[in-house]
Amino acid sequence: MRFHILVIALFCCGSAESRKVRGISSSYKRFYREKKSFLCIDGSKLIPFEQVNDDYCDCADGSDEPGTSACPRGRFYCTNLGFRPHYIPSSRVNDGICDCCDASDEYNSHVRCQNTCWNLGQRERAFVEGQMRTLDEGLRLKQQLIEEGVLLWREKQAQLRELQQVAEDLQIKLEEHRRKKHEADRFKEQTLRALKGEDSGKSFLLFISHTIAPDEVKAEVVPVHGEERRLSDDEAGVRCFSVFFLFQVLVLCYVPGVSNSFWFRAVSNTLFFSFSLSDLQKKLDIDYGTDWEFLFLNGQCYKLTVYEYLYTLCPFSHITQKSTAGTEVSLGVWGMWAEPAKNRYNQMIYENGEPCWQGGSRSTTVTLTCGTETALRSVKEPSKCQYIMDFQTPVACQPVLKQRGVHSEL
Amino acid sequence: MAPVLVLWLAVCLGATWAVDRGNFKTCDQSAFCKRQRALKPGESPYRALLETMELTNTRLTLQLINDNNKVRLLLELYRLQGNITRVKINELKPLKPRYEVPDVLIRDPPTEPLSVLSQDENGVVLSLGAESQRVIVSVRPFRLDIMEGHDVLMSLNSRGLLAFEHLRMRKDTFSYKVTSTVASVWDNVKRVFSSQADPEAENKEEADAANQAETTKEEEEKAEEGMWEETFKSHSDSKPNGPSSISLDFSLPGVEHVYGIPEHADDLKLKTTDNGDPYRLYNLDVFQYELYNPMALYGAVPVMLAHNAQRTTGIFWLNAAETWVDISSNTAGKTVFGKMLDYVQGSSEIPQTDVRWISESGIIDVFIMLGPTAKHVFSQYASLTGTQSFPPLASLGYHQCRWNYNDQEDVRSVDAGFDEYDIPYDFIWLDIEHTDGKRYFTWDPHKFATPKEMLQGLVEKRRKMVAIVDPHIKVDSNYKIHNEIRSRGFYIKNKDGGDYEGWCWPGNAGYPDFTRADMRAWWASMFAYDQYEGSMENLYTWNDMNEPSVFNGPEVTMHKDAVHGAWEHRDVHNLYGLYVQMATADGLVQRSGGVERPFVLTRAFFAGSQRYGAVWTGDNAAEWDHLKISIPMCLSLGLVGISFCGADVGGFFKSPSPELLVRWYQTGAYQPFFRAHAHLDTPRREPWLFGPENTALIREAVRQRYTFLPYWYQQFYHAYRTGEPVMRPLWVEYPQDPATFAVDDEFLIGQNLLVHPVTEEGSRGVTAYLPGKEEVWFDIHTFQKHNGAQNLYIPVTMSSIPVFQRGGSIIPRKMRVRRSSSCMEHDPYTLFVALNARGLAEGELYIDDGHTFNYEKKEFIYRRLSFSNHVLSSVNLVPDSHFTTNSWIERIVIIGSSKPAKVTLKTADGNESQLEFDFDASMSVVTVRKPGMNAGADWTVTLQ
Repeated sequence: MRFHILVIALFCCGSAESRKVRGISSSYKRFYREKKSFLCIDGSKLIPFEQVNDDYCDCADGSDEPGTSACPRGRFYCTNLGFRPHYIPSSRVNDGICDCCDASDEYNSHVRCQNTCWNLGQRERAFVEGQMRTLDEGLRLKQQLIEEGVLLWREKQAQLRELQQVAEDLQIKLEEHRRKKHEADRFKEQTLRALKGEDSGKSFLLFISHTIAPDEVKAEVVPVHGEERRLSDDEAGVRCFSVFFLFQVLVLCYVPGVSNSFWFRAVSNTLFFSFSLSDLQKKLDIDYGTDWEFLFLNGQCYKLTVYEYLYTLCPFSHITQKSTAGTEVSLGVWGMWAEPAKNRYNQMIYENGEPCWQGGSRSTTVTLTCGTETALRSVKEPSKCQYIMDFQTPVACQPVLKQRGVHSEL
Repeated sequence: MAPVLVLWLAVCLGATWAVDRGNFKTCDQSAFCKRQRALKPGESPYRALLETMELTNTRLTLQLINDNNKVRLLLELYRLQGNITRVKINELKPLKPRYEVPDVLIRDPPTEPLSVLSQDENGVVLSLGAESQRVIVSVRPFRLDIMEGHDVLMSLNSRGLLAFEHLRMRKDTFSYKVTSTVASVWDNVKRVFSSQADPEAENKEEADAANQAETTKEEEEKAEEGMWEETFKSHSDSKPNGPSSISLDFSLPGVEHVYGIPEHADDLKLKTTDNGDPYRLYNLDVFQYELYNPMALYGAVPVMLAHNAQRTTGIFWLNAAETWVDISSNTAGKTVFGKMLDYVQGSSEIPQTDVRWISESGIIDVFIMLGPTAKHVFSQYASLTGTQSFPPLASLGYHQCRWNYNDQEDVRSVDAGFDEYDIPYDFIWLDIEHTDGKRYFTWDPHKFATPKEMLQGLVEKRRKMVAIVDPHIKVDSNYKIHNEIRSRGFYIKNKDGGDYEGWCWPGNAGYPDFTRADMRAWWASMFAYDQYEGSMENLYTWNDMNEPSVFNGPEVTMHKDAVHGAWEHRDVHNLYGLYVQMATADGLVQRSGGVERPFVLTRAFFAGSQRYGAVWTGDNAAEWDHLKISIPMCLSLGLVGISFCGADVGGFFKSPSPELLVRWYQTGAYQPFFRAHAHLDTPRREPWLFGPENTALIREAVRQRYTFLPYWYQQFYHAYRTGEPVMRPLWVEYPQDPATFAVDDEFLIGQNLLVHPVTEEGSRGVTAYLPGKEEVWFDIHTFQKHNGAQNLYIPVTMSSIPVFQRGGSIIPRKMRVRRSSSCMEHDPYTLFVALNARGLAEGELYIDDGHTFNYEKKEFIYRRLSFSNHVLSSVNLVPDSHFTTNSWIERIVIIGSSKPAKVTLKTADGNESQLEFDFDASMSVVTVRKPGMNAGADWTVTLQ
């Protein structure tokens, strides 16, 4: 049950007109037409019109006090002529801090706020114009990069197909040679037996093959190339080679007069191709955007010095931090695109960097923003071992941005 | 970052998630504690020498003799104003002076006359003034009994545990032999040449004879291990003065509940220590402290309160050396059934608690505060050590801290985040990383290149900042502070006379000798705006690591044989942190020309630290038990005068779940010092990082805090005036209700708010004890009424913070929550009038400028609000006070009222006007609309 007893107005109403429209946008003015009573906008309560903006909160939705700080859930409309209008929480009305650029929120406080809307508007317009220019230029560059990206993609695809073809051919050849080799083995064994007779207590391992894990392959490719050692000195002329092929290790022994040189060469070729092939395949498996516009970033690196550290971002590969003292730590290797529903190409995640003292490992989130140049703009470490980077590039420019502009009061 | 990492590695090598107990001594590992504790209750060897008794108007002195070694002690007994008895015991003729704690008492306590009531060879009875209180001094064995009527309130040395290790020469050293030989030769020479009977010589002979006796006795005493040297882990303590510990026991007949002696991570009600270590008081930087044990922590206040339904008393053991407190009870082992049986059989012995204090050096100087109520004890203790400093209003708001906000941009964006998510806060904090290489009073030249710009940005938001200044000073000849301290000789010295150096955040560091008044004055001068570059009026200070923390020292603190002028660190250890905060607070006062109130947070503290600012419970962890323990820890501090207490919201180590974080905000919002803080290695946890729901819950908790700021401020004014705790245990207000005696999962703010925070994970309800047979309590959110003296089950959701306003109270609040407390300065008040069963309510309204010392000149508004006979009135409590405010009364909410026909306002000029109001019949709440009078005016509002 509620009682509304009209009382002598305690507060002067000399400036009633100006007071009553305070804090209202034009679209809301219809709710505040001078009448006998005012219905809270949520319809919860009917109050005398004098109680609108009288610095006492009557409506649960705060609608009776758009121009004062009386309602906890109220909001105040800054008209901000010359700039963008916006709402501020009622609690910022007359709190001694200038929030509206037109100074309208501090009509009864000790601070003297300047109307800065025109200046802000100018600056905003200049800024937006700059942004638009950047965007136009960015989009133009992006288009180029997309075109280049498509070409590059095709080129790489062609390369891939070619390599695959070569690999296939080699595979066939290899099979052929294996077969030949097998025959040769038999032949060689016979020969050896013939050569050494019964006194040959030593056996030659001509093929030793065992499976190794795929990721070991990369690590061991370097020492493999051209590795050659003598198995035993007294077996003059007998040489063994250990090479890797299709995740298998082959130890090949060359016995003079038995094996043939062509066979060995064929194997090394296969090896080389299989590696550039898997590398390329891995790279092409990455999502470079709908138009392969991010492809050009692969293989590039971008640097930025922040305080005592030099940061290096190599997109789709890795990120490092090098201190002035010279120690370099990994802040993560390419992980994935973060996927905030709308625009899935604006954040990259690099993970599994150098381990941290309290567990876990360093990781970096790279946010891509539109710009005419491709560059690393900022690096922060808001929490220990969690880095965030701002990376600017034309390919992050989105045409949708063009919709934005300066809204002025209706 | 890298150096910190290395340091952490150095400090916490091998540390797991719990404290490494091995780093800290048990009583057994502390030689004096072990020696003292080996002494079991029995007949005391001490005897009072009544013939030496001297009674002046202000004190009684009396010699005591130890019949075993003939060493004499001097007992001094004082009756102090306000029902306090002071007992001092020192050696009659110590080899060298023993340390007496300076600077803790606010003055020489004024005395009252003592008189002898009766005396015979067995003892003497002294009157303690008007209240039929007497002290009985028994001769053999010596003991003191403090009586009131027929009741013994407290007995000293009744268990014979008075033990005073007199200073002595070391016998096994060459120098001792030389000295004693030379001395006797010289005496002989003198004797030969002195023809006349020299009274001095005669005295000397007597003394020699005594010495002889002593020597022979002493030789029988076996030189125990650890008397002249002690090692702990790799650290050795050289102990040049040998054994010097002291001990005394106190018996408390009729007492089953004792409290206080913070800081321990333990329950409010102290436990008996028979089966474990005593409670330890030794300021230590304990890495990842464990809960529910008597281990020492960062601060020490050697004050214990004893309570039963009839009386509260207190013991203040004024000693700054390492101290251990043993508690035993004759009822501790008994079950409720056993107690019942005793009662039924009528053969019950009176429950009794026995307490024993042991300190490593110094003298026995104990203040026995005789109450009779807890509030009397608070005021007695306040008369000795002063009250809580009255903090700036803004410091009662919310504080946002983190180790670390990385740079100015980080500070700016966190500040902006609070505005974006519409969460109020008053202070943002900078931890050690803001400095130039952990050189305090400096700023990192890159990350904080323009601190004044940053501070000005906060000024524009009417907010403030706290930057850390620790007392370890980087040894670096390019560092001004270090050079000045070194050149002035202000550093603490090591035992060999060089500057003491230890490891702390900056690497090798010196420790200024804050026990020196000239050092403190110099330190204070460093806070001047022209000395502390980049500082401004809205920059305040945080003193951490002031136990002092020494990473490579014994027990992570300073070597006891380090030297502070005439004294060893051993003597002053627990006092060091107090001095650091004292000097810092002085600095903040001085920089404003004595106008502005300081705000300084400290981790280490001692008796009297309440005069200098706030304390927090140190490096806790993001665990539910740590949330729970924050209540008893702050309650214990409040009982011994330190009201401005809080725990790191969210927990310092580890990462809280969103639920724990929300619950911690809800709890912290109702604790005196409300600051969120987090370790460097934890993920960010600003309030908006846990999804919109949790952001809303945290926002609501912080907003509730801000609506109650007028009440908090008033409580602190009250604490400043009376020494009563702001956050207080239920038993303080309901001393006769045994059900309240051990409650420490809920608490009162002042007398009028009862808070039972939700501290259980996944909680669906809490059971709160609503105290007081006569009381009614109103839920502050729903205004639902509950009767007192009941356990009330309260169903809770994530948004619930069970808080009740006591019927009979009036609480002024400001309901327009803004960005910071400063923004709310001129806002109007809403008065929440909660009626008791008799339809009465009372409260106060205190207003001043919120930040200067002008309240000392009565520049404030202090009014009594009372409601009786349907009339609410505001009356000036201090008629000669003068202050004006723009604030007015915007709303009066009368809870538990019937529906009035009309409501009338009458102002001082006699004008009457009718007021509009709402009535909510379901909860019986009258809401008076916009009465509009100025908060400083006289007025009445009548419900008809």
